[in-house]
Amino acid sequence: MAPDSRAPEEPAIPITAFLSQLAVSGVAVLLIVALAAAARLSRSTPPLNEAAARALLADDYPDAPIDRVWLAGDGDAALARSGARALYLFRLGDAWVARDLAWTEAAAAPVRDGRLHLSLSGVSPRLARPALAGWAPETM
Amino acid sequence: MLEAPFDPVKLAIPFFILAILLEIGLGRLRLARAEYEARDTLTSLAMGLLRGVPALLTAGLVFAATVWAWEHRIFTVPFTAWWGWVAIFFLDDLIYYVFHRLSHERRFWWAAHVNHHSSQHYNLSTALRQTWTGSLVGTWLLWLPLAFLGFSPAQILIQQGISLVYQFWIHTEAVGRMPAWFEAVFNTPSHHRVHHARNPRYLDRNYAGILIIWDKMFGTFQAEMDAERPRYGLIRNLGSFNILTVAFHEWIAIGRDLASARSLREVVGYLFGPPGWSPDGSRDTSESLRARWAARQSAAQTPAE
Repeated sequence: MAPDSRAPEEPAIPITAFLSQLAVSGVAVLLIVALAAAARLSRSTPPLNEAAARALLADDYPDAPIDRVWLAGDGDAALARSGARALYLFRLGDAWVARDLAWTEAAAAPVRDGRLHLSLSGVSPRLARPALAGWAPETM
Repeated sequence: MLEAPFDPVKLAIPFFILAILLEIGLGRLRLARAEYEARDTLTSLAMGLLRGVPALLTAGLVFAATVWAWEHRIFTVPFTAWWGWVAIFFLDDLIYYVFHRLSHERRFWWAAHVNHHSSQHYNLSTALRQTWTGSLVGTWLLWLPLAFLGFSPAQILIQQGISLVYQFWIHTEAVGRMPAWFEAVFNTPSHHRVHHARNPRYLDRNYAGILIIWDKMFGTFQAEMDAERPRYGLIRNLGSFNILTVAFHEWIAIGRDLASARSLREVVGYLFGPPGWSPDGSRDTSESLRARWAARQSAAQTPAE
């Protein structure tokens, strides 16, 4: 559904009315969001354990056998090795997002203040900073 | 008739709000399935709220082109003729199918449409996660033949509005399945859940607006399977709730790819190939994902020797 790509709009749009309508709609949006938050209808996403990380990565990378998984201490992220690839999983709200990069890049990523600084492909985010427990890529 | 005597979308806005509140209420009382995440909801509603701003850029052009086409019409369809409304109902819905299929299967148009699919949730707020760049990619041209045929700009606008309003209510998990006769003819929450799913089985299916018959006619129909719950969102989900990222991420990705293109073939492929196209085939497209899924299914069903 993307109808405004096709609508022959009315030619003259009174700006004041448009802005007033926008402001009122903005207030309505904030009220709905507040109600949605108060209703607590978000999904249950407990901290990751290894089995959960493997299952979630299998959804996004079903053909990628996973050699090993490292979990972030807070359970909000995981990094896995799958052959020549590294698979990265992180929490967004009440959902999970996965990215992949070359294992060599992940293994060479710097660690500062206990956090791995991973450069990710894609538009957002460009950088991830998980605090992985027991991260020792040289052992792989 | 140039100006529509009413706008179905504006009339429906109170209904949109009440329906979202009802869905949240039913979800809270556990009377229906409804999952909301506050930031995801804010992103969806903000996208819908602000969609009118970029549309202003092209509103005059779109309106002028439609009026010009109508002034050069072949026939004249009276605004009050019942048969005219029946005809435009089917024609608009067929055009919507073409528009929607194009918007999924070719990257240039996908870039404008992808934001609507960028939520990992499927609720009534998702329906309002509307495109900001849709009016810039020229798909409104698909509707010009209606004006050439003799349907007035007002009649086209009203029918488009009716289609939009219809499609709002199908963005929900609160409704399971409608009666069989309804599921056979109309687009429904069940059919549209399939459309928003990223499971390989469900990719690029159910492009319908109001009538599901087009998907059945053109081979793009997929029924929702009880054994395979839809997983919503994109093949590679966005890692942000930022509305600018949601609105423009695919355009930015196209820009990066074009900057790295080494031939005209690559430029055309990156722009007009299927989403995920790459010169060496190293990226996933819906077709490659479906093929690998089918191979896995086949292998799982083949008894071990």
